[in-house]
This record gives sequence, C-alpha cells and structure tokens, in this order.
Amino acid sequence: MTTSAPAPAKPTPTAAARRARVLPPPVSGQELVLVGVIAIMWVVLAFTTPAFATAGSIQPLLVATAPIALAGIGMTIVIITGGIDVSVGGMMMVCAVLTAKALVGADLALPVALALAIGVGGLLGLVNGLLIAYGRVHAIIITFGTMNLFLFIGLQIFGSRTVNGIPSTLQFFGRGVAGRTLGVPHAFVLTLLIAALAWWYLRHTAGGRHFYAIGGDPQAARLAGIDVRGRILAAYVVTGLLVGLASCFLIAQGTSSLDQSVGNGKELAVIAAVVIGGTSIMGGRGSVPGTVLGALLVQTVTSGVTQLGWPSQLSDLFVGIFIIVAVGADLLRERARRRSLRAKGAAA
Amino acid sequence: MSTQTSAPPPAKDHAQTTPERGESLGARALRAVLTQRITLLAVLIVVVLVYFTVLDVGGYLTAPYDPDYLSASLINAVPLAMLGLAELLVILSGRGGIDLSVGAIVALSGMAFGFMYGQWGWPLGLAILATAAFGALCGALNGFLVAYIGFPALIATLATFYAFKSLAIVVNKQSPISTPPIQELYSLTRSVELPVIGALIPDVPLGIFTFLLPTIVIVWLLLARSTYGRRLYAVGTNDVASLWAGQPVRGTRFAAYAMAGLISGLVAVVTVAQFASARPDAGVSGNGVALPAITIAVLGGVAITGGIGRVAGVVLATLLIVWLNAGILLAFVGNEGSQYQLLALGTVLIAAALLNGFAGRRYGVSG
Repeated sequence: MTTSAPAPAKPTPTAAARRARVLPPPVSGQELVLVGVIAIMWVVLAFTTPAFATAGSIQPLLVATAPIALAGIGMTIVIITGGIDVSVGGMMMVCAVLTAKALVGADLALPVALALAIGVGGLLGLVNGLLIAYGRVHAIIITFGTMNLFLFIGLQIFGSRTVNGIPSTLQFFGRGVAGRTLGVPHAFVLTLLIAALAWWYLRHTAGGRHFYAIGGDPQAARLAGIDVRGRILAAYVVTGLLVGLASCFLIAQGTSSLDQSVGNGKELAVIAAVVIGGTSIMGGRGSVPGTVLGALLVQTVTSGVTQLGWPSQLSDLFVGIFIIVAVGADLLRERARRRSLRAKGAAA
Repeated sequence: MSTQTSAPPPAKDHAQTTPERGESLGARALRAVLTQRITLLAVLIVVVLVYFTVLDVGGYLTAPYDPDYLSASLINAVPLAMLGLAELLVILSGRGGIDLSVGAIVALSGMAFGFMYGQWGWPLGLAILATAAFGALCGALNGFLVAYIGFPALIATLATFYAFKSLAIVVNKQSPISTPPIQELYSLTRSVELPVIGALIPDVPLGIFTFLLPTIVIVWLLLARSTYGRRLYAVGTNDVASLWAGQPVRGTRFAAYAMAGLISGLVAVVTVAQFASARPDAGVSGNGVALPAITIAVLGGVAITGGIGRVAGVVLATLLIVWLNAGILLAFVGNEGSQYQLLALGTVLIAAALLNGFAGRRYGVSG
C-alpha cells in the first residue's frame, strides 16, 4: 500500500527509501527457484531425450504455454484481490466456439476475430464481476454457478456437434511456420508483452497496488478510499478479456476443427500455474512473472513426460507434487518471515 | 450461536428466535422461506414436482413424470448426496475448507476396489471395507496437508486431485477392470420392492438403503448428536477461539477430511456397481463430480466460510436437483436436456446465493 506513512521530513531520499521498503523485491525467491527448477528440467531433458532440445520441441511447448499463462495473468489479479474464478474453462469454451463458428460462417479477418473473442470474454467476465462485486456472495460460489451457465451457452452454440473447417485466419498464433518470427512463436511473445504490462501495472501504479490492498484487507482498503467494488469488477473483466484472447490461441493451436472438450478442466490448470508461481490463494500477495513461470513449468512437465515415453497422464501426478512443493516452500518461508518479525518486535 | 438447542443451530435461527410481534401470517411465511434454507428448498421441491406434473398432464413430456420415474431417478441421488455430505464435513471445518479431490478419490479407490474384488477375489464385504479405508487414507493425506502443515484447502486438494487422478489412470494402464464379479455387482443398483408397504409405493433403488441412508444417518448422528460434531462446528466457526477453549483443532479438522475420503471410497463402490466396471476416469471425466458435490452443499445452505450447515439441507438440495434434472431430461429431446441441466444448476445456485445475501440484509441475518 502506498498511502500509509505520514509525510517525510526530507522528501526525496526518504520517499525513494520508503518506496523501496514498501514494494516487494522485483524478483521474489519463488520466481528464482522456479527459474532454477525449469532450467534444471530443461538441461536434464536435453541430455536424456534427444528430441527435447530442438526447435521442433521447444516451439510447441511455448505455444502451448501461452493460453494458460495468459488466462493465468487475469487469474493472478483475481486471486490477489482475494477472489477466485473457476469459470475460466467455461468462458474459454464460449469464446472459442463462438469465434470458430463466426470464422466458419463469415470468414472474418484476423483483427475482427480477435475483437470478437476478446469482447465476448470481457462480457462474460463482466457478468462474473457484477455478481461478485455487487451480490456480496463469495467468488467461488458465483463462479461455480456461472461455470455451469457458460458451459450451457457453449454447448448450445456447439449444437451437439463439432465445428469443422475452421479457416486458418488465426494461424498467426498457431504452431505452424506462420505463427513464428525468427523462430519465436507470436503467441508466446504476445503473452510475454501482456505479462510485462500487467507486472508493471500491478507493481508501479496506484491502481495496481489497490488490488493488493483489497486482498490484504477489503475493509481497510475501503476506508482508505479505494473503490473496492470497481476494482473487483475490473479484475474479473480483465480475466474475461484475457481468456477471450487465450481462446483464440486455443483455436489456432488445434487443427481445423474444434470439439466440445475445449476448455475442459482449464480452470484447474490455470489455478495450478498461478499457485505454483507463488501467488497466495488467501489474497494480497502474488506476481505475474511467477504465473508465467508456473505455466511454463507445468507445460515442461507435460512435454517432458511425453518425450520420456512415460504415460502422458503421469504428468498430472508431477503437477500435483509441484503444487505441494511450491506452496509448501512458500508456507515455510512465510512462517520463518513471521517468526523473524516477531523476534524483531520483541527486541524493540 | 445459541447453545441450548442440541441440534446444530444454523445462523439463520437467530431471526427465528425473535419474530416481530403482530407480523401477519404472510410476512411470517415469507420470512421463513427467505431465512431458512430448509423451508426454501422444500418449497422449491414442491414447485418442481407440481410444475413437471402439470407439464406431464398437458402432454409436453416425452415420458410420464410419475412416482415410479421419480423413484427410479433416485439412483442418481446416491453418489451426489454422499459426496455432498463429504463436502459438508470438509466445508464445516472452516478456514476455507473445500475438497476438490473427491472425484479423483472416487476414481482411485474405484480402481483399488476393482483390483481387490475383481482380480484378487477378496470377499465383497472385506473389499468394500478396504476400499472405504483406502478412501479414508487418501482423505487423510488432504487432512494432513491442511490441518497439520497449514496448506490452504483449495491448494492441497487441487494438488491431490491431480495426483490421485493421474495414479488412477496409470495404475492399470488406462484400462478399466470389468471381470465377471464386477459385472455382477450391477445387481446392487436394481430397484427393490419394500416389505409391508411395498405394494403401495413404487420400487426404490437398492443403493438408497445399502449406501445412502446409512451414510446420512451416521453423518447426522455425528454432527448433531456427538461431541465431535459440536467440536467441528466450533472449529469451523472460530478456530482460534476453539484452540483457546482447549479443543484439538488440528485433529478435528484432520478427521473431517479423512471422513470425506472415506465417504468418497464408499461412493467409489457405488460407481463401480453402476458402471459394472471399475473405470479409471470415473468421477473425473468431463467436469468431474467434485464441482456438482460442492454446488449441492452450497445450495443446501452450507456456508463456504465454515461452521454453518446441516445434513437436512444437503439431502433436500440433492432431491431438488435430482428431480429437477429428471424432469428436464423428459422435457427436451436428445442431449439438449443434459445441457439445460447445466443451466438449471447454475441458475439455482446463483439465485440461492443472491437470495441469501438479500435475506441477510433484509432480516439482519448473517450468511
């Protein structure tokens, strides 16, 4: 929070010092550990499987990471405010099927298709946000409800069939050659850009810090003059917008057809990426880079298990273990931090 | 919380204890419907039954919506209500208690049951007991992580959901177990005629008596008539106060998760019998069974913050959803019906949650 301390006597140096004290370090311990773990996994996989350290393997991995990381950015903001959104899988389905149908029926141009998907996602996020911010009901209950509603809408649009013959308009974000520049997938680059923007916004603007304040203590945030409802509404709308974009990535990754399992179970994968990235489910703490690393880790595990020739379902077991280890380490660190704070308090 | 009643008092009882004088009958009825979840659910069940019966009489349904059909559809209530009760125990224990892993426990214990009964030829009773114990062990892992290590329940059970789901699929190389003994289990799910009054009422699915009713009675006794139940409500309402009152907070919470696992183990047996096969993806296919179970619990008036919730609410919520779903299936042709079931579930859940908030503001009740 930026509004706590009284005005300092010597403005410039103290203000800078205070800013440094108030903000968490730019890279958290969890993120460094994640970078290390991912690096070790990549090195080990590169030595044990001949195909891993090739462009043909890394590029699809990055492409597959993009939608989870993208939805994860929104989910990070939502979880920072102390909420949760289990309806992202349903949202992804609605956005994907609507966009796919529009592509088949009207042969939209790329920007129009993107705008459509993002707009629909924003609308669905708005429904969540309005119900949560103004209904005074816990987010998990509302989003369980809207999850069912979104699945219904999605299946109705599907009309109990798959969508076939989707034109390759979205291949700019796909796995193919058209989806890369200098060998780097566009989907991943765009995700990184949005992640950087979100990181800067959450860390260095008053509006961004408000999300943390609300997650820390909504009452105190309201008394400090923060528009709590408006901010919460914004968090869910942003999630919807990002899920809309992510669903375009999903369409682009597939073949020319889309079946009804699209988005299935994605909400849990997204939440897994966020919590592995060090965001506290209790609210008030979390970072976007961690989420992107979390998504990359999950995707590396999935890809690695397949390339090692193990049963692909085994990757879920490792994801589960990673969640336990990542959150467990965070719990221990938090406990140690609290103990040292208490020791300091006793000394003073 | 008022302490003189022996049954666990839901917070909504506060309003009930102080009825305003001179309130008209209508106003009192409205208050009862709005502030008491059980009354609301009962009214909704009647509305659903009347509505679909009218549709049936009008000839708009594809098959008769009669007592026989309603009774047969109760077989769907067995796993739903049992898992709803499992979630009730866990959510009651407070501090964001929730169990996302029940579906995965159903899948994994189902496979365990398949091995024990279908391949190793254990006697049925022993296999069922061992499956329940296995489920309890899975739940105990959740309980250990949440109660003793301090993991947020959502995270711990998300992780174990992934782990158990993965193990269930890998353990038999993705293939189901459907040896002859397992296939014969299908008879467990048949409908039977009750003795004495059987001629007057329709046949009832056997699973109701062998699994559902015992579970309901035991959970009710546990929550409403045992020290453990009082402790669970206390811990869920305020765990710091309970700790200072000398209650074993960790052990109480741990037991809630272990029991939820045990119930999931029993549901695994029911599911194996229903499918006549131990399927590795039972309980996790599609959207899984955990989310509907949580929905049922919330609809039944269980407060997600812990410490508030009753067995009767969960049972009535299950009946409402099962009979509503049964009616919807008849009202639409093809798989349109199963889609409208999603719509109905979502709408009912959101409406009930919003109504709770509204009732809270109007009558000054929390929850």
